[in-house]
Amino acid sequence: MKFLIKIIILLFISTAFAQKVVRYDLYVRDTIVNYAGKEKRAIAVNGQIPMPTLTFTEGDMAKIYVHNELNEETSMHWHGVFLPNKEDGVPYLTQMPIKPGSTYIYQFPIKQNGTHWYHSHSGLQEQIGMYGSMIFNKRSDDSTFRKGIDDLPTYPVILSEWTNTDPKNVHRMLHNASDWFAIKKGTTQSYAEAIKEGHLKTKLTNEWKRMLAMDVSDVYYEKFFVNGKPENQITGIRGGEKVRLRISNGGASTNFWLTYAGGKITVVANDGNDVEPVEVDRLLIAVSETYDVVVDIPADETAYEFLATPEDRTKSASLFLGNGIKQLVSPLPKLKYFEGMKMMNDMMKMNGELNDMGMKMSLNQMDMNTVMYPEITGKKNEKKVMSNEHSEHQYNANKLSSIVTLNYAMLKSPTKTVLPSNAPVKELRFELTGNMNRYVWSLDNKVISETDKILVKKGEILRITLYNGSMMRHPMHLHGHDFRLINGQGDYAPLKNVVDIMPMETDTIEFLANEEGDWFFHCHILYHMMSGMGRIFSYENQKPNPELPDPKKAYKMLKADDREFHFMAENDFATNGNDGMFMLQNTRWSIGTEWRLGYNDMHGYETETHIGRYIGKMQWFMPFIGFDWRYRKMGHDEIEKNLFGQTNTKDKRAVVSAGASYVLPFLATVQGEVFSDGNVRFQLMREDIPLSKRLRMAFMINTDKEYMGGFKYIMNRYSALSTHYDSDMGFGFGLTLNY
Amino acid sequence: MKNSIQNIVLLLSLALFSVSCEAQIKNEKKETVKISGNCEMCEETIEKAGNLKKVASIDWNKDTKLANISYDEKKTNKEEILKRIALAGYDSESFLAPDDVYKNLPQCCQYKREFKKEVVKASINETAHNHEDHVKTETVGVKQEKNQLEKVYGNYFQLKDALVSSDGNKASEVSKSMVVAISQVKMELLDNEVHMVWMKVLKDLTEDAEHIGETKDLKHQRDHFMTLSKNVYALLKAEKLNKPVYYQFCPMANDGKGANWLSYENAVKNPYYGSMMLNCGKTVETLK
Repeated sequence: MKFLIKIIILLFISTAFAQKVVRYDLYVRDTIVNYAGKEKRAIAVNGQIPMPTLTFTEGDMAKIYVHNELNEETSMHWHGVFLPNKEDGVPYLTQMPIKPGSTYIYQFPIKQNGTHWYHSHSGLQEQIGMYGSMIFNKRSDDSTFRKGIDDLPTYPVILSEWTNTDPKNVHRMLHNASDWFAIKKGTTQSYAEAIKEGHLKTKLTNEWKRMLAMDVSDVYYEKFFVNGKPENQITGIRGGEKVRLRISNGGASTNFWLTYAGGKITVVANDGNDVEPVEVDRLLIAVSETYDVVVDIPADETAYEFLATPEDRTKSASLFLGNGIKQLVSPLPKLKYFEGMKMMNDMMKMNGELNDMGMKMSLNQMDMNTVMYPEITGKKNEKKVMSNEHSEHQYNANKLSSIVTLNYAMLKSPTKTVLPSNAPVKELRFELTGNMNRYVWSLDNKVISETDKILVKKGEILRITLYNGSMMRHPMHLHGHDFRLINGQGDYAPLKNVVDIMPMETDTIEFLANEEGDWFFHCHILYHMMSGMGRIFSYENQKPNPELPDPKKAYKMLKADDREFHFMAENDFATNGNDGMFMLQNTRWSIGTEWRLGYNDMHGYETETHIGRYIGKMQWFMPFIGFDWRYRKMGHDEIEKNLFGQTNTKDKRAVVSAGASYVLPFLATVQGEVFSDGNVRFQLMREDIPLSKRLRMAFMINTDKEYMGGFKYIMNRYSALSTHYDSDMGFGFGLTLNY
Repeated sequence: MKNSIQNIVLLLSLALFSVSCEAQIKNEKKETVKISGNCEMCEETIEKAGNLKKVASIDWNKDTKLANISYDEKKTNKEEILKRIALAGYDSESFLAPDDVYKNLPQCCQYKREFKKEVVKASINETAHNHEDHVKTETVGVKQEKNQLEKVYGNYFQLKDALVSSDGNKASEVSKSMVVAISQVKMELLDNEVHMVWMKVLKDLTEDAEHIGETKDLKHQRDHFMTLSKNVYALLKAEKLNKPVYYQFCPMANDGKGANWLSYENAVKNPYYGSMMLNCGKTVETLK
């Protein structure tokens, strides 16, 4: 940290109030870090990443001064904390953004205990450093005080990740279905790799069903951190002791596996709420969840590795507990992606919907990805005698091996959590929907800007059933309330504020609407949230929020997030001409222009512009209107005829058109277009057929008797070597640049 | 296409590096460290794990247990090298290998782990989540005064678990203690009904246990486990149990002829295939 400034956190103890006021000052500043070989911008608070740990005791009054010394707006959200709505820290929803150079004061009473965390809720700031632990201690006279747990030495642990790519660019690349992250992760799942592993049929079926390469996470990260470092250590723990780790997942889009070298892990709390202690070998902490675990330090002079492995298992981060020789834990072996692809093929119907094969899945008990875990289902290429039938056992990791993995059904509250039985119940159901190809994430196929706030009455119970019909898991987070997760523990259902839902799972949550305000309910994967995956709960007839002087305008600004257009452009500088395109896309709309510019009049120059709207959940269908312009010098007798016998002078042509495109099985796009001069054209094309890790093939053929075929070798994020043959321009090779 | 590009790159790099081939590791630093291990196989694994082309090279001696390591100071350090070696199963002064990796080393490589520190006994004043809740007791559900065979049954279930996790070493170890346990049984003190069965199965029981103990070959062990299971089943059927035992059957074992085993859990964990088809089978009888 270059701009490390020593700032003393002021702590005022005020006796004027009955409550103890605990004050923190947070100075938010731009900084330059070098975490992965390159100097990059990050945001540090009080000179540090992660942000400082804020500690309170239940009953305190928190007073937090946020000094924005950035050149942009910011905000601070207190994750999992019960507070008045205006202190919740969601810009344009509960307050106006904190302007550069200004100070904002958050003040709220601490009404609960447990492990929480805080982060920026503005743009993508959370990705570059704005996350930190927030610990609410129990009062020692609390009736729920657990001897042997609440009096153990306690350490806050916050997990996160780092990318050298500007998060805005990450977001843009995700929306443009760039496969650069897959190349970096080695998860292209190309035809060459499929053949090598004997999975050609799997790959063919996969593309037949119009799926792209499968993965468990979207973004490639250079580093993963435990408390800001890839390797960290807590010293001063002796052999024979137990410690409690208060773990928060502050990653923007990474779920972490937690494993430990010193024996079993005892889970004692989740999302800031106590649970009955449960012993496991490992657990997965989803984005934005918190878990409190107790572990043993078996021997003296030994540092035991507590390992956090991202779900895609590309790298890991370690925390060593104790001093001395380092006892390692086995790294998690690489995923068997083609096994996962095969599983997905079986679950995917031709219409893009998922078929759970009659298995009732919930609460992370059955992990379909188990087929990809070598530590449970055997190493790659190991001959399996297993029948092909889908049974519940096939995906139940705890039944398949002696490794005990935590799932939500194992969480039990130590106290009754039943809601008042006389309160009216409002039932809601949402399907989590998504489209990986176009990176659209939504609820019931609608993003935030396409829906209204959901009105609730104070005092009623909201019972929400969530079904995940998309192919990724989503940690759904509710602001300002804890909900009961209905998990078979009856009156002792655990209280949570994040529920991670795997594909095809159905979970039910319920909570009492007892705090007025506008509360966000959203997927906590940062890039899913920014794409509009969420809803807003609002109380009927509530008092206006004094922090929002112009609520209508603020609401409009809030909706702007998922309406954003993402830009991409590409040009092939080839020996036989320039081929290129640019495109602006958002959730529903696409504006694109393609061009082919020869180097002389004989080759010609042409551009096509299409403005279209994606239809349906899978967005395979897109009607559009267009405009074509071309100029080409031909011999004066030469008139082109298309397959329908319609003639076409290409010398000079400027026409408007209407048409539609549709994605066929094997991901080929068919396009039909009628032009204002009466001509009709059908076209079949596909780009980016993954032949090998970096080699792509493309083809195009149409009823104007034009055709094209080519190859592209991806060199780095922005450039590729290419070669193609084109019916107009002949053979050529060149360099493709893309953004 | 890709291959040709790879070839070109390969040729180019060959041409470039053939000039400087002699200079192997730049900024070289040499050190000697102790790494645990036994034999030549260990040597191969240790060196393979530690070596990194042009960056690090390791020469380990199986007699002295000392390794000469040399590495490019600017690119790596001793810790990185020793960590790789530990992850391959070998302890050193800085790192202890993961326990499961060590356990999976070949028999001849199971060196003595002298770098490991002694486990400190947890304080007697056990904490709130007291262990009774979690620790599954391995004692057999036979009535106390007649627990002559308790040890034998205990060994049987341990053996079953070892086979479930495809651990030939453990299976052999457990069977050896089973042989001892069998020999210590005082037949005359057994319940009459059990006594009769015991006399019938004693010879086979001993023989199967001996065979499993003598080998680490899982296939051989599982063959004997089939008959062993039948005999233990006969015994348990005669016993009065205070906790149910499940008699389970997998139709695919024994080349499709099927085979049985006993378990305390109703959920199927098949000892005949290990992780390959752990859940094959069903409970055919519940002994109470």
